[in-house]
Amino acid sequence: MNEQDQWEFENRRINVSALPDMMDVELTQISPRYRVVNLSITAAVVIILVAILSFLRFQTFMVVPFNLNAFYPAIVTGVCSLGGLNLIYHFFADKKIKYCLREQDLVMQQGLFLRKIACQPILRIQHIELKRGPVERSVDLATLQVFSAGGSLHTFEIPGLRLNDAQRIRQYILSHKELNAK
Amino acid sequence: MDKIEQPGSSSATTRISVATGNRWRRLAPIAVLYFIASNIKSMVQNALYIIPALAISAQSTGILQTRWFFPVLAALLVLMIGSGLISYLFYQFRVRNGHVEIRMGLLRRRHINLPFWRIQNIKVERPFYYRLTQFAVVILDTAGSAKEEAKIVAVTRQYAARLRAEILSERNEFLQTSDNSQTAPDASVSKPADQSSDKEDRVINRRSVKDLVIHGITNNRVWIVLGAMAPFYDDLARLVGEWLEQQGLQLEQLAGSASVAWWQWGLYAFTIIMIIMAAMALFSVGGSLLTYYGYTLTRSGDRYIRKSGLLSQQEVSMRQSRVQMVAVKQDWLDRILRRANIFFEQNKTGNQQGQELMAPNKLLVPSVTLSQASALCEEVLPSSQPFSRDFSPITGFYLVHMIGVRVLPILCFLLVVLGWQGQWQAMAVALGAATVLSGVIWLRFRCWGFARDKNYLYVRSGIVGKDYQILPLYKIQQVVIQQSIMMRRRKLATIRLILASGTVSIPFLTQKQISYLSRVALAEVEVSAKSWM
Repeated sequence: MNEQDQWEFENRRINVSALPDMMDVELTQISPRYRVVNLSITAAVVIILVAILSFLRFQTFMVVPFNLNAFYPAIVTGVCSLGGLNLIYHFFADKKIKYCLREQDLVMQQGLFLRKIACQPILRIQHIELKRGPVERSVDLATLQVFSAGGSLHTFEIPGLRLNDAQRIRQYILSHKELNAK
Repeated sequence: MDKIEQPGSSSATTRISVATGNRWRRLAPIAVLYFIASNIKSMVQNALYIIPALAISAQSTGILQTRWFFPVLAALLVLMIGSGLISYLFYQFRVRNGHVEIRMGLLRRRHINLPFWRIQNIKVERPFYYRLTQFAVVILDTAGSAKEEAKIVAVTRQYAARLRAEILSERNEFLQTSDNSQTAPDASVSKPADQSSDKEDRVINRRSVKDLVIHGITNNRVWIVLGAMAPFYDDLARLVGEWLEQQGLQLEQLAGSASVAWWQWGLYAFTIIMIIMAAMALFSVGGSLLTYYGYTLTRSGDRYIRKSGLLSQQEVSMRQSRVQMVAVKQDWLDRILRRANIFFEQNKTGNQQGQELMAPNKLLVPSVTLSQASALCEEVLPSSQPFSRDFSPITGFYLVHMIGVRVLPILCFLLVVLGWQGQWQAMAVALGAATVLSGVIWLRFRCWGFARDKNYLYVRSGIVGKDYQILPLYKIQQVVIQQSIMMRRRKLATIRLILASGTVSIPFLTQKQISYLSRVALAEVEVSAKSWM
């Protein structure tokens, strides 16, 4: 019982207003290249799709069944407008992805219409993964994934980090755990 | 490969021999087989639904005779072997400083970093094509999820065994140090229990047949019986048909004749629905008895053990320290009968989405009275008192949002469309439904709230019955705050506290409340540094 009293006493002394607030952290933006990459990928996909469609429309050595040619303008408009929306979204939303590595946790903020701030205490991290797709590798970016016991739905993922930064964050987290979690 | 096994390694020096040093290691060449096999497996899994189609077309059109069939088959084979080779060539691992590190993938490079003491489970598997060799696959599970497990694809059996021993010992060490230094309040509570466990296990709760009958009525347990009867559905349907016929009721006649007045129809329907409802309730009671007959919840040491079952007795056990959250659930029938179901929820491994009442990560105490519920909460989470609290309500913007943004637009749209077509009856129905829905939203709003004491956060929700979630804040895995543009303008936000057992969310709180909750939660995790397991 004695132990418990002590613990409660300690706990009571935490002054909540003096604690750091996760909504009030100075956040750094992820690499601006991430947005450029997303914009160019979207543009490339739209261009390739339109090119394929145009080829099918204007080629002469095959008959397109069901008179599908009539839908060509509609489909191209659809593809272009979806691509355009996507471009606009990435243009504004990618700038909003920000993160911060604090002594005890990782904070990330994202979202254009629905702002989402997530905070992952380093103590609860199970393992870490660096992911680099072909495009990311060509521009020296990496995605840092942090897994906790909260399940795969809540994997904490910071995209568009410079490889160096990502590696440094990983190193910090790994050495942090050895100091504190053991 | 053999470089891993250093000469002169013995059990005393496992600490050194498991580590592979700074250099990245490649797997034994036999791993190519494993990669090819897993390629084939995933292809078969993905293409399972094509096989019947292929088989039919093979019969009808002679797909085997076409001149491209074998080239395609060969190309597929080459592709799979090539991709197996590439997987092998681009897979490297090393084990050092108590970490397993894996680099893999050609296009999508992955670099996994897995500390020994976070590994929950370690399996050593030997696929049949490894049988003749000395190799094995080591599968490392973290608490994350089944999909995120890491595999070391081909190491010698001796190395696998040593790695397992090393990881397990590291883990035990970690658990012991964290138990001693960090779980002081838990320890002081579990001590008396330990003493009593020396003599005998302590029974905490029993459920009588009466309790189980109540449980069967309030919770639909029909599916247990339905599942058991699945093989006899056809016979049953025939039996019911014959029985109805004997009673002079012929469904075909009924449906065909125009002589039956609408109110007779209504009566028939009503009677049939009543019969079905009664049968369902009866079945449900049967199902409840089947699974929970002789229910006892005992505490033995730091474990809770649930034993129950009429035909086959099941035993489920859960360590006290593993309980992430206690949930008290009550729906409207429970409220009338003044009962509640209690769940002790622990870490859910993998993503098995089982039936809620049977989920393996939850321990259910069925239909307890409210005083028993309060005693059980206090037992599992010492000095927790969910029922005698003042809950701070969520803000009224929840109502505004749910009714104004979700219900009203749909209602207006429906009214305009239906009014256009002059369907007045349907319009009345839509209006009525919207009113009922708004009422439900209002009830939900009235109920939702949170409270906090020294050790726990309590969240109350529900519509007619009240649900309580009680969680020790230091078990939180992650905190997420969400805000739409409108909410930001009004300084409101929704908070989600992510636990290993699931998510607890409280919507539409003021920014002040949110910042208070998130600060306290993070401080509990980061300052106390207590283990969540």
